[in-house]
Amino acid sequence: MKRYVLTRILKSILSIFAVVSIVIVMIYTMIPSDKVFDNDAGAKKMKGDQLVTYKMRKLKELGYQDYASINEMCIATFGDNAKACSDGDEAARSQAVDKYASKGYAINTLKSGEPYAVHKYRWYELLGRFYSKLLVIDNVNAIKDEENPDLERKYYWGKNPYNGTPALLCSGCTYKYQLYFDGSFPFIHQNKFRLDFGTSFPTSQGVPTLQVINEGQGPNKKVEQNFETGLTEQSALIQTSCQYKFKTDHLDEKRFNDHYASCLSYHESPSMVQTSYTLGLIALVIAYAMGIPLGILMAQNKDKLVDKVGIAYINLLIAVPSLAFIFFMRSIGTLFGLPDKFPQLGFNDIRSYIMPVLILALLQTPSLMMWLRRYMIDQSNADYVKFARAKGLSQGEIFRSHILKNAIIPIVNGIPASIILCISGALITESAFAVPGMGKMLPDAIKTTNNNMVITLVFIFTTLSILSVLIGDILMTVVDPRISLTEKGGK
Amino acid sequence: MTELNKDLFELQIADDSQSEHIASPQYSYWRSVFRKFFSSKLAIFMMVLSLLVILLSIFQPMFSGYNPNVTPNINRPEMKYIRPNSTYWFGTDDVGNSLFDAVWKGTGTSLFISFMATFITTTLGVIIGMWWGFSKRVDAVMIEVYNIVSNIPATLIAMILAYALGAGPWQLIFALSVTSWVSTAYFIRVQVMIIRDREYNLASRCLGTPTWKIITHNILPYLISVIMTSISRDVPSFISYEVFLSYIGVGLGQQHASLGRMIQQYSPYMTSTPYLFWIPVAISALISVSLYIVGQTLADASDPRTHMV
Repeated sequence: MKRYVLTRILKSILSIFAVVSIVIVMIYTMIPSDKVFDNDAGAKKMKGDQLVTYKMRKLKELGYQDYASINEMCIATFGDNAKACSDGDEAARSQAVDKYASKGYAINTLKSGEPYAVHKYRWYELLGRFYSKLLVIDNVNAIKDEENPDLERKYYWGKNPYNGTPALLCSGCTYKYQLYFDGSFPFIHQNKFRLDFGTSFPTSQGVPTLQVINEGQGPNKKVEQNFETGLTEQSALIQTSCQYKFKTDHLDEKRFNDHYASCLSYHESPSMVQTSYTLGLIALVIAYAMGIPLGILMAQNKDKLVDKVGIAYINLLIAVPSLAFIFFMRSIGTLFGLPDKFPQLGFNDIRSYIMPVLILALLQTPSLMMWLRRYMIDQSNADYVKFARAKGLSQGEIFRSHILKNAIIPIVNGIPASIILCISGALITESAFAVPGMGKMLPDAIKTTNNNMVITLVFIFTTLSILSVLIGDILMTVVDPRISLTEKGGK
Repeated sequence: MTELNKDLFELQIADDSQSEHIASPQYSYWRSVFRKFFSSKLAIFMMVLSLLVILLSIFQPMFSGYNPNVTPNINRPEMKYIRPNSTYWFGTDDVGNSLFDAVWKGTGTSLFISFMATFITTTLGVIIGMWWGFSKRVDAVMIEVYNIVSNIPATLIAMILAYALGAGPWQLIFALSVTSWVSTAYFIRVQVMIIRDREYNLASRCLGTPTWKIITHNILPYLISVIMTSISRDVPSFISYEVFLSYIGVGLGQQHASLGRMIQQYSPYMTSTPYLFWIPVAISALISVSLYIVGQTLADASDPRTHMV
């Protein structure tokens, strides 16, 4: 079993990498890079050489290519003696250009006659660049600040400013709080290992993609808190998220004794992940609470009216495009005075949640009902059921305590997947109600060529779905000891 | 009481060939399928409905010559947003074109995409699934491929592919088929494995029947109902898929008329001119439901076990 799980995990990691690699290569090579500038307001104001230079720089920043202007070529070729070359010395310039050309760069010229070098990354270079900077391990030598040579380099124990529990702190790392505990999931938090997917562009420019997904939304929320200087004030800063700040101002000095002053803030509304998760989880509970009793009812009354109505409902929901169903339900909701857009009443009004949750739940019921009914009917012809009946058990008892226990096993297999995949949000439902959750993120990111965001989301979704399938399989062996994931001898 | 005489009798010759004849009712597979199918009134009604929709979506655009890029009435405000009436059955849209023409053109595109994707997926899936289920060597390789591929959220890949390849019907068909054939192949593999080692196939192999003949004569007929079930699920799901991809903006582009794109384009008009939004939605639901029911009934009817009277 252990060996099986281990190989399974290895294979899973392999498939995550395979998917992410394919997606990276696809979006960098198959989508024309000019599409990046379709939504860029900055590029629209420029023209001529300025535009070309801007585009080249931006594409370099976004990881499409390497680019060097003539000045950069000169500096790279001659080092400190680049002055003559930069000033326009023909011989020196051509030497610099030749050097770049021999490295495989394409040499183009601007309208002004100045040459520049461009190298489009090939697929293996794209992958190499992505994976080499993916995992960031924070260490005591991470910060190199020339203006602060006396920066101590050490780990030390302190405490979480919010609840007083012990925390591992660091001086010299990027993050001050390396390890700390609090009451929110997953209770133990660390900042030592981080995944770096780059920054978002063109929406939320410059913000790391993971932060876009995780950070709260809406205006800042101030809470009363104590700072290490002894100051107590209403502030939105999250002290456990603080990073090293190179230039501190007097406000920072009032709050902090050291340079760790660049912190995230508390927000009024939950983050995108949290929003999707809240909606999805409530919907899931409702779906199971509805689907399982209905499935049992259908199986108990096979070929009777209840069963026929149930089958009609299942077929209808499977056949009708979910888009049509969602919009239909939404307009029914408006008849009862419920908002047709989530932001109308916002996060703090329960009425915003009713329709999205109900729709999400209803969309999950048909397959749940269908499979439970199928499994229960299959089980009801088994010998143990006949035996139970011969012993004189009532129909209800047989269904509840004998058949259900066996029929629920395959359903159990799917539960982790449903729980974990709540995070990914329900795409259409969320966009129909304009819920600020994860569902809308991927199509929006794709449309705005927010490449780093697409890769981040693909990575997250793939990892989650692979993980959930694995947990589902393991859970199944726990519920039913007869099932073994490993093949035992013979064929 | 009459006497028994020879005239009352007729001489019968023992006919050996008669004893070879089996006196059971004539059974024809396809006749039974049709008898079973046409015994369902709902299925007949849905079939007529879906045939009507298919024919309309093929022939109506030929007569109307509708093209989403040609907008002769764009500068005539009186032609825009006309409510459905006797001249314009479905009203007119935001550029003054008849919605009736647009809807059938769009339905045609959506149906074309869905049928093509189903065709490619099923053909590939059945051929590869057969091979996969039959050969243990292929199985060893393919099951690993499947373990990797099945873990990937298919919607994700379809979305990215559809966007990366560009906005055209063929690109969309490619994106849809490339992500879905594996699951069809896997489905067929499991079915083939169930039947492969049945006694009649073992006997057939013992008698020296070539593998190809076993596949086409012994296994494929058994699979027809399974394949039909798969098709009846695929066609509506691809229509939904196209509608969904176009709705989120990564499917077909502006220059193509499709139901999904119309729904996406008119969803802001839901309160002001609801017919613009609801007619395409209703048509897409109508096609999906009717094709699904026809497919399901046909799948039931093509299962030989239901033919016993």
